[in-house]
Amino acid sequence: MSRLTAATRAHARSFVRDPVNLAFLFVFPPVVVQVYGQAMERFPELSLGSDPGTVGSIAGTLFATAFVAGLIGLFQLLSARRGDERLLIAGFGRSSLLASRLVTLVAATLVVAAVSLTVLSLGTDVAAPGLAYAALVAGGLTYGLIGVLVGTLLPRDLEGSLVLVFLADMDSALSSGVMAVDTAVADVLPLHHPHAAFSEAVTEGSIAAGDARAVVAYLLVLLAAAFFAHRWVAGDGGERA
Amino acid sequence: MPNTTKESADVVLRASNLAKTYDSWLPFGRRVEVLDGAALQLEAGEIVGIVGENGSGKSTLMQILVGALEPDAGSVDVSGSVGWCPQETRLYDRLTVAETFDLFGEAYGLDDAEVGAARDDLAERLDFERFLDYQVRHLSGGNRQKVNLAVALLHDPDVLFLDEPYTGFDWDTYLAFWDLTEELVADGTAICVISHLINERQRFDRIKELREGALHDDGGEEP
Repeated sequence: MSRLTAATRAHARSFVRDPVNLAFLFVFPPVVVQVYGQAMERFPELSLGSDPGTVGSIAGTLFATAFVAGLIGLFQLLSARRGDERLLIAGFGRSSLLASRLVTLVAATLVVAAVSLTVLSLGTDVAAPGLAYAALVAGGLTYGLIGVLVGTLLPRDLEGSLVLVFLADMDSALSSGVMAVDTAVADVLPLHHPHAAFSEAVTEGSIAAGDARAVVAYLLVLLAAAFFAHRWVAGDGGERA
Repeated sequence: MPNTTKESADVVLRASNLAKTYDSWLPFGRRVEVLDGAALQLEAGEIVGIVGENGSGKSTLMQILVGALEPDAGSVDVSGSVGWCPQETRLYDRLTVAETFDLFGEAYGLDDAEVGAARDDLAERLDFERFLDYQVRHLSGGNRQKVNLAVALLHDPDVLFLDEPYTGFDWDTYLAFWDLTEELVADGTAICVISHLINERQRFDRIKELREGALHDDGGEEP
């Protein structure tokens, strides 16, 4: 068994044995999708270009996936920090440990995206489910990596959670199109392109190439930033001979 | 991380001129000078105690010796493998005891058979066999400390650092602990025990006191 496999298995076991994690994966998304959809239906006078309930449900689906993935990314690092330090002293490579955390994050994101999309599809016609799922997973991973970054650079439960809540809420509100904001800042927010891609996949059945490229580029930049931040904060931590 | 270099036959650890200050970049932060010129040498087959009053920097020193913390100055050279039993258990709460051994065995580079043999031996000697299927968070403080110690011993290290190792032990486990350490010392393991209170000085080859940031020979009498 490789070190990566051993660490991934251990992290996955720890993850699924925490009921709070399971609640975030399976309970939080349905609630958010429903609340967003029903809340937006109360404002039919908004000029959103399509049914307000659908706009709300789409925004809620992306927010639920991204926020849960962000929290998982954050607490993947924070909750096991002390144990990880000891494991590194025992001989684990820092890169192996980070990679195992990312594997767990990806798996959890796939699950929460599937749950969220299933809930959305119960009340909304999804034109291209495969593309929509891909866009949703990309949005989730974007925030998952942001959670990893925050957990690395601000390793405190309360402060890290507040940063994530503030960023995700503001990002969701601005990227969903509910508020007519046309600034360069809104265009570079993490959910801007994932929201555009997800909306296109749900309503039109295709994703604009520009949005797809931007989503992938954003993910790659965040992945590199998370990796380098991890090494910068903790030193090289190479494998002990 | 400590440098792993070839030392003379008996010296397994040489720490020189260690300095560490905790500082804050925030206004009104407190600057605390913890270590200033601390030095320690450990030889194979000896057991050394380090004492010091609360807040003297014992745990900081140990974290530097094992490589968990970078000193501001000085160096630590270690030859051979290192075992570390920290004061806080630093384990994964939702893994079982057996899974914890599997994970750390992987980190130490042991195969499954070696992990199983070492785990079963330590569990029997420290009397936590019946808890192997328990998640760490469900263990009592004393049993958690037994597992904490056993994880440090799993790979039969050449140098063993123990930070307040017998906190929470009952009397039988305390005695089993000393039996175990005497065997390890006889086999050539160098052991460094850090504690705020050392009652049985005859169990140690040397005792050093951490005072004003440096280690001094301790001339305490056997109570």
